[in-house]
Amino acid sequence: MGMWKMSLLINSKHDPGNNRDLTRKMGMTKKYWTGMDELHHTDAFQKSLNNEMQQDQSVEDFLADGRLKETNTGRRDFLKFMGFSITAATLASCETPVVKSIPYVTRPDEITPGVANWYSSTYYDGHDYGNILVKTREGRPIYVKGNAANGWAGGALNSRINASVIELYDSARLRGPVASNQGTSWSSLDAAIKAELQSANNIRILSETIISPSTQRAINEFSAKYAGRVQHIQHDTYSYSGITKANLATHTKAVVPSYDFGKAKVIVAIGCDFLGTWLTSNIYSSQYGELRKPASGSMGKHYQFEAQMSLTGSNADERFPIKPSQEGKVAAALYAAVSGGSAIAIDGVDASAISRIAEELKANSGSALVVAGSNDPNVQMIVNGINSAVGSYGSTIDMGKPLNLFRGNDAAVQTLVEEMNAGTVDALIVYGCNPSYSWVDAAKFNSGLAKVKTSISFSLYADETANRCKYIAPNHHYLESWNDYTPIDGRTDLCQPAITPLYNTRYAQESLLSWADNPSSFYDYIRQTGNAGYDIAMMSTDMEWNMAVHNGTWAASAMIAETPPTATPPIPTVAQDLTAVASTPLMVADPMNLNDAIVKATSANGGEWELSLYQKVTLGAGHHANNPYLQETPDPITKVTWDNYITMSPADAEKLGLSIHIGQCDCANVAKVTVGGKEISLPVFPSPGQKSGTIGIALGYGRGEGGEKIGNACYQTGRKGDHLMNGDLKMTVGRNAYPLTSLSANTISYTALDVKVEATTEEYKLATTQMQATVMGRTSVVRETVISTYLAEKDKVRGTASYNKMATLAVHEDVNGDDEINNKDKRPVRDFDLWAEHPVENIGHRWGVTIDLSSCIGCGSCITACHTENNVPVVGKDEVLRHRDMHWMRIDRYFSSDFPTVDETSEQKKLGTIAAYRDMEDPEANPQTVHMPMFCQHCNHAPCETVCPVAATVHSNEGLNNMAYNRCIGTRYCANNCPYKVRRFNWFNYVGNDKFAMVNPAQDDMMRMVLNPDVTVRTRGVMEKCSMCQQRIQAAKTAYKVAGKMVADNPKLTACAEACPTHAITFGDLNDKKSQVRASHDDVRSYSVLEEVGTQPNVSYMTKVRNLKETIA
Amino acid sequence: MYRESPVRTPLVLGHKTYHDISNDICAPIEGKAHRQWKIALTIASIVALYGIGCILYLVGTGVGVWGLNNQVDWAWDITNFVWWIGIGHAGTLISAVLLLFRQRWRMAINRSAEAMTIFAVLMAAIFPVFHMGRVWVAFWTLPLPNTLGTLWPNFNSALMWDVFAISTYFTVSLVFWYLGLIPDFATIRDRLVKPSWKRVYSILSFGWSGRAKHWTRFEEVSLVLAGVATPLVFSVHSIVSMDFATSVVPGWHTTIFPPYFVSGAIFSGFAMVLTLVLIMRKTMRLEAYIHVKHVEYMNIVIIVTGSIVGVAYLTELFISWYSGVEYESYAFINRFSGPLAWAYWCMMTCNVISPQLFWFKKLRTNLAFTFIMSIIVNIGMWFERFVIIVTSIHRSYIPSGWGEFKATSIDIGLFIGTIGIFFTMFLIFARFFPVIALNELKSILKTSGESYKKQNETTPH
Repeated sequence: MGMWKMSLLINSKHDPGNNRDLTRKMGMTKKYWTGMDELHHTDAFQKSLNNEMQQDQSVEDFLADGRLKETNTGRRDFLKFMGFSITAATLASCETPVVKSIPYVTRPDEITPGVANWYSSTYYDGHDYGNILVKTREGRPIYVKGNAANGWAGGALNSRINASVIELYDSARLRGPVASNQGTSWSSLDAAIKAELQSANNIRILSETIISPSTQRAINEFSAKYAGRVQHIQHDTYSYSGITKANLATHTKAVVPSYDFGKAKVIVAIGCDFLGTWLTSNIYSSQYGELRKPASGSMGKHYQFEAQMSLTGSNADERFPIKPSQEGKVAAALYAAVSGGSAIAIDGVDASAISRIAEELKANSGSALVVAGSNDPNVQMIVNGINSAVGSYGSTIDMGKPLNLFRGNDAAVQTLVEEMNAGTVDALIVYGCNPSYSWVDAAKFNSGLAKVKTSISFSLYADETANRCKYIAPNHHYLESWNDYTPIDGRTDLCQPAITPLYNTRYAQESLLSWADNPSSFYDYIRQTGNAGYDIAMMSTDMEWNMAVHNGTWAASAMIAETPPTATPPIPTVAQDLTAVASTPLMVADPMNLNDAIVKATSANGGEWELSLYQKVTLGAGHHANNPYLQETPDPITKVTWDNYITMSPADAEKLGLSIHIGQCDCANVAKVTVGGKEISLPVFPSPGQKSGTIGIALGYGRGEGGEKIGNACYQTGRKGDHLMNGDLKMTVGRNAYPLTSLSANTISYTALDVKVEATTEEYKLATTQMQATVMGRTSVVRETVISTYLAEKDKVRGTASYNKMATLAVHEDVNGDDEINNKDKRPVRDFDLWAEHPVENIGHRWGVTIDLSSCIGCGSCITACHTENNVPVVGKDEVLRHRDMHWMRIDRYFSSDFPTVDETSEQKKLGTIAAYRDMEDPEANPQTVHMPMFCQHCNHAPCETVCPVAATVHSNEGLNNMAYNRCIGTRYCANNCPYKVRRFNWFNYVGNDKFAMVNPAQDDMMRMVLNPDVTVRTRGVMEKCSMCQQRIQAAKTAYKVAGKMVADNPKLTACAEACPTHAITFGDLNDKKSQVRASHDDVRSYSVLEEVGTQPNVSYMTKVRNLKETIA
Repeated sequence: MYRESPVRTPLVLGHKTYHDISNDICAPIEGKAHRQWKIALTIASIVALYGIGCILYLVGTGVGVWGLNNQVDWAWDITNFVWWIGIGHAGTLISAVLLLFRQRWRMAINRSAEAMTIFAVLMAAIFPVFHMGRVWVAFWTLPLPNTLGTLWPNFNSALMWDVFAISTYFTVSLVFWYLGLIPDFATIRDRLVKPSWKRVYSILSFGWSGRAKHWTRFEEVSLVLAGVATPLVFSVHSIVSMDFATSVVPGWHTTIFPPYFVSGAIFSGFAMVLTLVLIMRKTMRLEAYIHVKHVEYMNIVIIVTGSIVGVAYLTELFISWYSGVEYESYAFINRFSGPLAWAYWCMMTCNVISPQLFWFKKLRTNLAFTFIMSIIVNIGMWFERFVIIVTSIHRSYIPSGWGEFKATSIDIGLFIGTIGIFFTMFLIFARFFPVIALNELKSILKTSGESYKKQNETTPH
């Protein structure tokens, strides 16, 4: 502008008229002076002007150009040009994100972009075992489901296994070998280790239970190389050596037998969470699910004796709260009763109950099963005695086909720790276990470890143990590995990689072999295990092998059936002091011997408080502490996420003056527990069903106390999403309770019988997903009955059984034909319709789901499966605390109140209605439990749909309630109007907001790869909820359409149905008269939750049937 | 000439002439700003800025900055919305309904009441807009032509009706208010001497000349607009109540809501008018125009509407019991005995018990007492909406979904902020606008002015 002004001024001097003209043309009406000099036309000014300007072409010449005169740059034109230029410049400066995709130069045959590939594989982490199918999309494993066709027990998985897929992508994993906390190369690592091993006299391998024949072979080969110097010790994070010891004593076989809960008509479990965490609980839960089908006429009877309410206890028909010290006494009393003695009463359990159970066990001889969770060999021996007396061996218990899992030997580990501390161990190789975290006396282990010259870990992370080791030779993740497993005699499963190793890791087996100078790849090694004559030429021509890889198992492969993998080296012998003797499953124990066990097992007497250490269904023994999906999955009983705590009976908590209501506004109180000089301070959760005078603390928490890099989910995040600090160290999620375990008679004991509990003034927030404990007598939410009532009314149609009446309304017409119009004239709610019927019945598909409340055990496998399948965000503890969990699928857990209805409560307790309601909020001391999966009910008359102002949630013509995220403006009216409270709002940008950086996998560059590309990642401010796995329905429909066939019934199509180990969830087309879902939908037990609201859901629930004498509802 | 009964209390006190009225009412506009006004404006605008800050933070971060959760998806946001909308109602009632009923006492207060309506509706609109998860697409609620084919908003949704009801209400109120201002702006224009300000007011007065033709048209349009606005007084809050009444939530799904919300709105609106007017008459020296009689009339409206509201509360309780519906009856039992019972009893005390004190003439003619009561009533009415919204949804059908609600500092900050914005606007109004409809007031001076009435009594008919 300056230049322009100047030129105008020059002009004005020579031709004032022209200047006026120009100024007018340019839209300028004012004259500017640069200063007083110019105004007065001083000589100096004139001079300076002439000197300053270029003389080549004077401005007047330029402006005098005739053609220029003809042009007219009016104000409007000027503005137009300027506007255009600015717009053009602005647009040009906005760079649209350029996403470069690199196509395959040569497309792999098996990959079609957008189409998933499934690979059979096997999961084993030393704790859980499952046959899986891995879903990969464009080469990335994104989902794990059970191998239904060829898996053990139909490939039943629990949430720990199906959520494990995300651990593959944990960015805390080691990227390569480590020597003395420095990254190194494999070759220099090998050279260093080999040199040190050469001079080592005592080499110890401390591993998880090895069930892989090839791995065992590698260990054997390694041991042979360093002959006489190597000792292999197996250590289970959670020990079951009590069982093996007892079996050695009673059956001369140091094994864990295989149990078949599906065959049992009577189950008695003493402190044993066989559905949640005990042994291969996923297999048992599947068997148990088959048992609990009322339509078969018998459901099995399940008795549970336990201190704190476990998942298993919550499913029992009858549950007896006992103290941990009474476990042996109960077992002994039962043993006495079944072997003809008289029943003894135990504090809290009537003699009549004992004798009744004993009678039932005897009556069902051959189809009864007694199990105990205690790790005390004496208790297990008595249990063996009972099982023997009621003929369980050979039917529900198979000693001939023992588990190869859980052969850890506590005594051997103890000896090892002593040796290490004595300085006699030169080299220690830690494989698959983490004793610095989980060993009884981790401090002693660590001090011993410091004395070991060569310590090597195969851990994937620089975890508690690996961090203290000199070398870390990180193993592959199981989804990157080949392996073979023999979990049980006669069954060999294959583990197949679903992705190339992400990092510079190496098979632990290859490490061992290379230190034994065998350069073989582990894949070849596995092939050689099955076929000694294997050579590389056979790699792809061996049909038997290929079939086994395809099926994920040798045993299920028809071709291999002729030659079962007996050619494999025998399963390694179990640890040294337990002699494995092949013998027929006979009761060989001397009765005197058992008497001794009874004396020992019943002598225990507890102090004021007794403690039992248990595993949570979500985190297990602590392997999965870095898994955000599992951390956010609520505990099935307490519904608490992201913490461990002290479970205590509400009455005891009240006595100690601790808070008995935990919620958003009510903190838990912290109590200090002292066990044999060791202290732990944890918040107290008042847990109904807990035996008074006992407390429970979950193991598996407090990972990474030393600030180890084992994944973000191990550490607590604060309100802003940053990790909370405790001094210099990050605060762990929960506290480690392993130090409270103890060794008694060479086995680890998970109970402490004399414990001090002191209340403190400290408060702590516990994040629960469900605050209300009881169902408040709302029978249209939860319906239950007993087996006899169910069987008596089995042939009635839906809505007519006494326990399952259809909702009706009184009308002013004579419906029942008694010539009177009174309140007996009722018509079903379904007949009253405000809206025109959605044309869904008999037109096209109508997708629906039924949930069998009798089969659902509440394990939460569906929750994690849904999480993974549908990219459900993880929101962290602070948000869960604010009731903002995002679970599309949740499991509501209801405890029974003292009396089932408000009228009865009011009558029995002589209370007014208001007081009766308040009374019903508190569950009874030993409540019955209902687990109720709850998710979008896909109502045909959906209250959410009518209230959305922009029609973002609409009904599909296939019965689904669809959610158009793009259209949603986030008024949340739908969520308010949803009677089932299943809608979940994106309160924040979970994929971008810093608060969620540490918890939500979608924010981690690596973990993001687990996201399912078929499902949109939702943005901030939109509502989301169960879509009934819409993407799967569409894919299935397309597949059938391409094949030109009718859509076949696929009851396991949705992620939740697929993941359910007990088959409690059935999906299908309600308009397909032959579908399973139609049959269960029309069943006498089926009802719609809140039918009277008139929502007409496409989801039905089947009344829970309990194997009890009396009706409770 | 029309003469008013000597029994009736005069509406304009003292010996006021037409010129006095012009002088008194134009004084704040023509004079310099008070120190008090400046202080008040500073405080109000600081609070307003804080509120705007809260809005920016909310929009920048997400609705999660409020205390809402997956059980309680609406709380302070919609409470504040309904509260503000309710407050607005008094203005329309005074200007339209009382105009139709020829209530002359309205003339002293209608201008400020209408201004309050406009500002309150603006404040109310903040909440439904910013409670949206994606506020940047808020315009999708409007039936606009779009490129997505036949994609319309959902006309079944009560929120949709809200959009229409409130925008209509706001438009009509604004036009009505502005129409009344035209002759007054003209008076100011004629009195002002400073050319710049004269120009501003001459634009605002739309060339009003005061001709008889203008006056006829003015009165005709006023009546027509009053006719249009009257149903709006009843429709807007009825429709707002349908956000709740058309849902299936126990405690919301109630047919009593439309009339009960309307009377509640008038109840709270009059209370807010009283709060404002009592401050205004004192600070702006309008004691001659707004005096005890006006306050008493308004207090009587408060007794009536307060009692209707009280009856509605009791009816709700009765019906919840009489219905025999488990969920319905529990929703109400929970209201008065559950975790949020304190809010219910706060509401009951403020809304039902306290207005009954106005049966005593001494109390309803006591200005200080009235001022305190007006604030209590507004607190009570805020709690009414809070109770309806939060206690119904925090424990609804499925017990597993029973939750709690804890307000955050942003919830509170935004609410206080809207009060700040409201008062900022009102203070600007009081400084630059004629706070009393001076030309309308002049029309009753000869009949209802104190000195003229006395004069009339002495002169024969």
